[in-house]
Amino acid sequence: MRLRLKIFSGFLILTLMLIIAGAWTIYELKNMGSSVQAILDDNYKSIIAAKVMIEALEREDSGILLLMLGQWSEGREIITAADNSFKKGLEIAANNITIPGEQSYIETIRSKYQIYKEIWERPIVDTHKQGDLNWYLEIAHESFLDVQSSVNELMSYNDQFMFDTASNLQNKAKRSLMPGVVAIISALVFTFLFNYFVNYYFVSPIVRITKSIQRFSKDRVPFDVRIETNDEIYDLAESINNLCLVTESRANKQ
Amino acid sequence: MRYNIVLRYVGIVLLLNALFLFISSIISGINGDQAFLPLLYSSIVVGLFGAFPLIFVSASGSIKNKEGLCIVVASWLASCFAGTLPYILWGGEFNFTNAWFESVSGYTTTGSSILTNIEILPMGLLFWRAATHWIGGIGIIIFVLAVVPSMRISGMVLSHVELSPIARDNFQHNTRKTLRILLRVYVGLTLLETISLFMCGMNIFDAITHSFATIATGGFSTKNLSIAHYNSVPIEIVIIIFMLLSGIHFGLIFSTIFEGSKKIYKSIVVRYYILAIVTGIVLTTFNLYKDQYKNLFNALRYAAFQITSIGTSTGFANADSSIWPALAQILVIFFALQCACAGSTSGGIKADRFVMLWKAVIKQLKLLRHPNAVISVRIDDKIIKSDILAMGVLYLCVYLGLVFIATIFLVALGVDMLSSFSGVVATTGNVGPGLGTVGSMSNFSHIPSLGKWILTGTMLLGRLEIYGLVLFMLPQFWKTN
Repeated sequence: MRLRLKIFSGFLILTLMLIIAGAWTIYELKNMGSSVQAILDDNYKSIIAAKVMIEALEREDSGILLLMLGQWSEGREIITAADNSFKKGLEIAANNITIPGEQSYIETIRSKYQIYKEIWERPIVDTHKQGDLNWYLEIAHESFLDVQSSVNELMSYNDQFMFDTASNLQNKAKRSLMPGVVAIISALVFTFLFNYFVNYYFVSPIVRITKSIQRFSKDRVPFDVRIETNDEIYDLAESINNLCLVTESRANKQ
Repeated sequence: MRYNIVLRYVGIVLLLNALFLFISSIISGINGDQAFLPLLYSSIVVGLFGAFPLIFVSASGSIKNKEGLCIVVASWLASCFAGTLPYILWGGEFNFTNAWFESVSGYTTTGSSILTNIEILPMGLLFWRAATHWIGGIGIIIFVLAVVPSMRISGMVLSHVELSPIARDNFQHNTRKTLRILLRVYVGLTLLETISLFMCGMNIFDAITHSFATIATGGFSTKNLSIAHYNSVPIEIVIIIFMLLSGIHFGLIFSTIFEGSKKIYKSIVVRYYILAIVTGIVLTTFNLYKDQYKNLFNALRYAAFQITSIGTSTGFANADSSIWPALAQILVIFFALQCACAGSTSGGIKADRFVMLWKAVIKQLKLLRHPNAVISVRIDDKIIKSDILAMGVLYLCVYLGLVFIATIFLVALGVDMLSSFSGVVATTGNVGPGLGTVGSMSNFSHIPSLGKWILTGTMLLGRLEIYGLVLFMLPQFWKTN
């Protein structure tokens, strides 16, 4: 192989290592960015929606208590507003199904909420339910707790998934770091190797050639440098050897 | 020493590693798992490092013994370093120490693992783990010598360094033919086992990886419970048969199959090896029967598998031998020290040296009775020279000394004595699982980092039969010409 190609191959290998490591690091970093976005978009949105639903449920529960105390208009106002708020929260959660199995949680909340809604949609004021603490504790509050626990389950499910994704991020960060670390160490070792080969195959023969020429010109010691490689340095040594032989024969003739 | 020549040969070895890394990355790519990029990048880096010296250094006609030793040791170390790359790049439980442990354990065919959950690894990485066993099984250099034709010129020097003197005895051919025999038997046994396991119900991926691990007497499984995962008697029988075969001198297997020779039946070493394992199985079975297993068949099943696995230095498991009674555990320790025959892929002290030692003891007893008698030690009609005999005994002493010293270090690091001793015995013999907290159903993850480095040192020393690595590390080796 010729000299130019050898040197070129050395630099090419070094460049290749760095480019590939760089490309991979960029890819992993991009992946990391997507994971962060996924946490924000997918899980956090569902968690916020669940919180809205829980808050709405609690307000509905307060509304029921007001109805039981006979305050119809205040109770109805709170319940209607909370119902709208709950529906919005449920809508957000239903349109943001990103984890396998999340759909079933939504369906459970929907069906349980329907049961709960049927309880407070029927008249309470001026009926036997007004002031009936047993009815509240056994029917209304029980149903409220049932829906609330389902919403909590949805929130925990998203929480867990968010935690898992965040844990994976740690691994991804390590992964995006490692190609760079490996490339740096490889480049160092490679530079050391390249330096050794350049010294052994290029610098050392040139030094030997120079010394042999000096010995020839000074003391007429025959030029004798053995070059192992089949490249320009070998050609150079051969040419110098021929030149020395010609010079020597001309000097002998004179 | 011509370092450029050493670098050229190490480069060729790295290229072979790069090829297997690339195959693993293809598997990973087909499976669509997360190990694709780590494996591909590793194959590129290792390939570039391997190819670079070939650009500069032209092939050399001959190499000196010292260069040969340097090439062999440097190739093992370079391969082990190359093997860490995909693990580090993949992440998970792998920091550098853990990746180094897993890589050395793979190449030296030890089969000890730091992984608490193997099944979480992507398919490509599982294949790479098994491939490291297969590359290291008959010896990295032997593998390369047999595969790369241009390296056969230097084959004699290199194979003499890699193959132990007692392993060379049964090869009556020139180096080239010896290498061809080794490769044929190696590949042939692997293919046969893969087909057999597949027919027993294993999926093709598991069949290949378990065959790699069996024929190399490695022990890396793709399952957390090792072979116990399959709970299949036919699979266990197939693996027992191939573990036993992998523990016999490959030259004897070849001459039996291809040359119709009956040497395998007459060989005293093979007879002793089989007899020792059968005796071990019988003793363990009766020790386990009623104490551990109410059913005699189950006692025989687990004893046969575990004793063969340890006795051939494979390290697969179908039961947890660390909860077995004392006699069974002592037998496990004995077989982990002895292992199988020289010239196979097995590690340990080797059955050959035990036979040699026994014959030397007999000789000494005879000499006590007849001090002037001329008594020669013979193994299979061959006279064993007194210097080889002395070397065998010396090796035994050095080996046990190494086990003792490494155990002291591990105990000093806070590891309990049984785990330390059995762990060192298992890693020095390239067996894999020990007893106690490093038993067949446990792993080495809890061992302190320094302890892991000590254990990888013992793995390499055991694999290179101590002297080679020690010589390589002595300052005098680098000073003298």
